[in-house]
Amino acid sequence: MEYFLDINKEQEQLKTNLMTMNMGPQHPATHGVLRVEIKTDSEVVAQAIPHLGYLHRCMEKHCEHLDFRGVIPFCDRMDYLAAMNMEWGYCLTVEKLLGTEVPVRAQYIRTIVAEMQRIASHLMFFGTYAIDLGAFTPFLYAFQDREFILRIFEELSGARLLYNYIWLGGVWNDINDDQLQRISNWIEEMEESMKKYHALVGENKIFIERTANVGVIDKEMAFDYGATGPVLRGSGVDWDLRKTRPYGMYEKFDFNTVVGKGEKGRVGDCWDRYYVRVFEIFESLKILRQCLEGIEAGPVIGKVSKIVKPAPAEIFLRTECPRGELGYHLITDGSKKPYRLKVKSSCFTHVSMLPDIGPGQLIADFVASIGSIDIVLGEVDR
Amino acid sequence: MSTHHTPEHLHSHLEDTLTVGKWFQNIWDAIRTTYKGMMITFRYVWGVKPVTIEYPEVREVLPENSRSRLFNDVDNCISCMQCADACPVDCIYITAVRRDKEAPAIKTDDGTPLKLDLKQYTIDTALCCYCGLCTEACPTECLTHTTDFEYSQYTLSQMKYNYLAPDIRAWKHRIVK
Repeated sequence: MEYFLDINKEQEQLKTNLMTMNMGPQHPATHGVLRVEIKTDSEVVAQAIPHLGYLHRCMEKHCEHLDFRGVIPFCDRMDYLAAMNMEWGYCLTVEKLLGTEVPVRAQYIRTIVAEMQRIASHLMFFGTYAIDLGAFTPFLYAFQDREFILRIFEELSGARLLYNYIWLGGVWNDINDDQLQRISNWIEEMEESMKKYHALVGENKIFIERTANVGVIDKEMAFDYGATGPVLRGSGVDWDLRKTRPYGMYEKFDFNTVVGKGEKGRVGDCWDRYYVRVFEIFESLKILRQCLEGIEAGPVIGKVSKIVKPAPAEIFLRTECPRGELGYHLITDGSKKPYRLKVKSSCFTHVSMLPDIGPGQLIADFVASIGSIDIVLGEVDR
Repeated sequence: MSTHHTPEHLHSHLEDTLTVGKWFQNIWDAIRTTYKGMMITFRYVWGVKPVTIEYPEVREVLPENSRSRLFNDVDNCISCMQCADACPVDCIYITAVRRDKEAPAIKTDDGTPLKLDLKQYTIDTALCCYCGLCTEACPTECLTHTTDFEYSQYTLSQMKYNYLAPDIRAWKHRIVK
């Protein structure tokens, strides 16, 4: 009996010790203030636990003390890379409660800014993902094109990042013909340069080696965790709220959903998620082109009373944001403030997948996996 | 944690067999695609205009409706408190008292009679979130966003602007559109 015990002791001494490391919260590869506690077995991740809350600003609680218009600047600050889409979701929710009619021109402008914001957000992903994998040049190219979008937004709303542009019942400022003309010129340029960028990064053998077959999220796992947006589409599921549950005026437009096909590796790997985002830019450009053709003159803001007081009700509405589905659960009690505003964020769901993606990967591949799900910590923590 | 994902499952690509032909194919692909990428970046060496500006010497002209530092023209302010109500972060502090009946009647530029005397109009620009809701609420349009954005300070108290102070009143001729 003692003999066996001794052997067990010896084996215990020979066992590899796992080293605990903190990735973040200030690590540039985690895109913000995400801290991942990883246990490593040499260079292989054995366990990964994400720790959240470094950018928690009590946004949901704070909204209970604001009137319905005052919530919009706070929606901007959730996902600061896609502020227009955040605003639009909130405004749609309150408008549905109030039963407000949004003028046609305002709806067109909303679609234009939302799609441009989607392009800006995907360009940001394109640039930072290349940086994660060690390429610096694409980042500068992406920012050059993103700059045009921010400039247009600055002219429209007066701010570069946190717009407060989409208001209840419409939009703040009208868009003029000069801006529309510039956007239509830019669409042509953008299409050309995006093809170039994809040839530079996405078709590069080194990039493919780093991303194909890495961080595979298959269909089953995506459904298990409730993944949405490009992560779900990268796993080969044809689900886009703009197609399946059209809001705004998306049913009018002709565009395709980009779905990962596992071209370079398996379905649902990092390359597929990259592919979905880059080719969504082309689809967004398609929508933009149709918007510029169809836009008509008219007012840009509908009739909304000065003090917004919706009847007591409960509503849940979701929209397709660049990072996934964003849901607003709004409860009102008949006063001029929301009783409760719960935000369902897609990034939070995607962060919770990390403990399942991480184990068994090299640390460098784990960085590639975090980059490919494209999280913004402002939206995770709110 | 779900159980159908084991580390082996994620690393199945390591089991792919590597033939000699595949090995040479990989090397050729790497050279070909890297050359393609290098040709794209090489075109940026000549003939591309710089996109950055050298900031303190060259300044970008901001759009007309840029939302930067707030300015209140106190002569036109009717102390209605609507801006303070609209502010989501409560950074506008207003004190006003009822105007004496004997005092001479004053009107704002657009003809609204002043019934209150403004005693304090302070904005804490360190708290301000530059959302623009206060300027939209203002009935006499005396509160505006200016295009002035260079006003960093050493202390937080220096960020509090009392718009009744004479030196700040003098901005009217400098920065207001």
